[in-house]
Amino acid sequence: MKHTARPYLISLIILIAAALLSVLVGSVFIPPATLADLVKSGLLGQPSALDPNGSFAAILLKLRLPRTALLVLVGAALSGSGAAYQGLFRNPLADPFLIGVSSGAGAGAVIAMSIQWPYTTLGLMAVPIAAFSGAMLSVLVVTQLARVGKTIPTTNLILAGVSVSAFASALTSLLMINSTGELRRAIVWLMGGSTLTGWNPVLGALPYVIIGLGVLLFLGHPLNVMQFGDEQAQQLGVPVQRVRMVIIFTATLATSAAVAYAGVIGFVGLVIPHVVRLLWGGDYRRLLPLSMICGASLLLITDVVARAILAPQEIPVGIITALLGAPFFLWVLKRSKSQNYW
Amino acid sequence: MKKLLRFTLSLVLLAGLLAGCAAPAAPNGGAIQLTDGLDRSVSLEQPAQRIVSLAPSATEILFAVGAGGQVVGRDSFSNYPASTAELPDVGGSMGDYSFEAIAKLNPDLVVLTEINTPEQVKSLEDLGLTVYYLKNPVALDGLYPMLESVGTLTGHDKEAAALVTSLKERVKKVQDTIAGAQTTPMVFYELDGSDAAKPWTSGPGTFVDQLIQMAGGSNVGAAMQDAWAQISLEQLLVADPDVILLGDAAYGMTPEQVAARNGWQTLKAVKEGKIYAFNDDLVSRPGPRLVDGLEELARIIHPELYK
Repeated sequence: MKHTARPYLISLIILIAAALLSVLVGSVFIPPATLADLVKSGLLGQPSALDPNGSFAAILLKLRLPRTALLVLVGAALSGSGAAYQGLFRNPLADPFLIGVSSGAGAGAVIAMSIQWPYTTLGLMAVPIAAFSGAMLSVLVVTQLARVGKTIPTTNLILAGVSVSAFASALTSLLMINSTGELRRAIVWLMGGSTLTGWNPVLGALPYVIIGLGVLLFLGHPLNVMQFGDEQAQQLGVPVQRVRMVIIFTATLATSAAVAYAGVIGFVGLVIPHVVRLLWGGDYRRLLPLSMICGASLLLITDVVARAILAPQEIPVGIITALLGAPFFLWVLKRSKSQNYW
Repeated sequence: MKKLLRFTLSLVLLAGLLAGCAAPAAPNGGAIQLTDGLDRSVSLEQPAQRIVSLAPSATEILFAVGAGGQVVGRDSFSNYPASTAELPDVGGSMGDYSFEAIAKLNPDLVVLTEINTPEQVKSLEDLGLTVYYLKNPVALDGLYPMLESVGTLTGHDKEAAALVTSLKERVKKVQDTIAGAQTTPMVFYELDGSDAAKPWTSGPGTFVDQLIQMAGGSNVGAAMQDAWAQISLEQLLVADPDVILLGDAAYGMTPEQVAARNGWQTLKAVKEGKIYAFNDDLVSRPGPRLVDGLEELARIIHPELYK
């Protein structure tokens, strides 16, 4: 029992440390004394003497905490979905964006950005809503195109996904070139830059990520069985087609919500499941939750780097995930003893 | 036309508001109330004393109306006037600003422009900050009310009014001079010529386009579809500009490099050596230096009138 608990313990400790780091480190340094005073006065419900105009409190409560929370959700959503997709497609190169989530979201977001919205709550929600709809829509199109009768062959799904992605990306580029407005906004969004700050994005993404990942957590066993191939799994009593539809739907739900608020953040969803698999084995009952926890940690750590490296400038976190994630993954890969862990 | 309509409408609204609170106490003394470029109502108890600017044009406007001393932070691109270099940098070169750094400066006013997004306005509002959003003017005339509102926000109404008067006089002077021009030279304004086969240029409606016309030239890019567009070398050869302006001079482009480009030697401007480096900041930032840009353009396009 102790043995099975250890990976969880380790990864949770890393997650908590990363979350603390993410709250404590930023482009503005908050002196420890001020921080202690802020926490104390916050608990007592009094204004802090060391923060007379409240700017440190605002930085902590309105910028850093919600950002940390959003990154935990996004990292968990991307890595959890990535692990599920890799299992579903039995393909080590599968990532949460394989069947069109990111390109669909990108097209939706850029379409929304090409319109001048009035400065209202709805106008501000236009981009996330359009990104979410674009992502869901493109996956819907992909599954419909790939469907043969009542089944969805894996190869069809991947090919349809790649084609629809290419189409949506081309559409996005065309829209960006034709737009008279600011290209930078779209470019930053596509690189995984932040759009809205504060608690609204967290509350907006939370239900979808919880539903999506919550369902995925129960699919570890069927995914394990499906590694023997669809026919064997069917014979062993796993309703393969239904499991496949559920995974596609829930993973899309979670990643669409993540992408809608955080932009396209690459690499986390691809690499973290592999790292977890290398460290703790390929049992999907463990792989799924551990990927979610570690994905959140990786995104938090890369974000700290993204904020600190060129302070006060902030780099879109999507750049850093690949910049840090790729060497880290190669290191783990090189270090692993087993030749064919997959 | 649309502008006129909006202006009239706001006048009507204003009249309505004034009528609404006509008899009793006048609005509390000193309180500033303005509507910004996002149609948000912005109010200040007193002229802003700690201002953060998130765009070069906003920074230039603030300094031009005499509020430079009240600016406590600026974005990475703000580089004019030179004294901005000493101000804390709050980011922005990748479109991401450090909201933490802005909050730490504890500003009583943050000025944004169209290079900023509505999401950024919202994020700053959520931090409890007062935000004023400057919508880019579409023509030079639109610049003046912007200068006046920034003057009002910062307590420099008089300086702003004087600035507007002097800018208008300078524009008038250029127009009077250009009225004597005999020719309308073709001008090619290069934004980015790293791809010499299809350099980027300023299309119709941009300030570059408008100012070249006001300076008595004809903008080759006016034939383009988009505001920022790539023109093919073939089209450029057909247009055969009399003058080439290098807006990308700041990025290291030189007249020599242009003259050495494959296929460019046949251009009239290249043969006659009328290729000039041009400070793109003068025409790309919707601020008071647009008038500097106009004067410079007039001098380059019609040197015969400035002898």
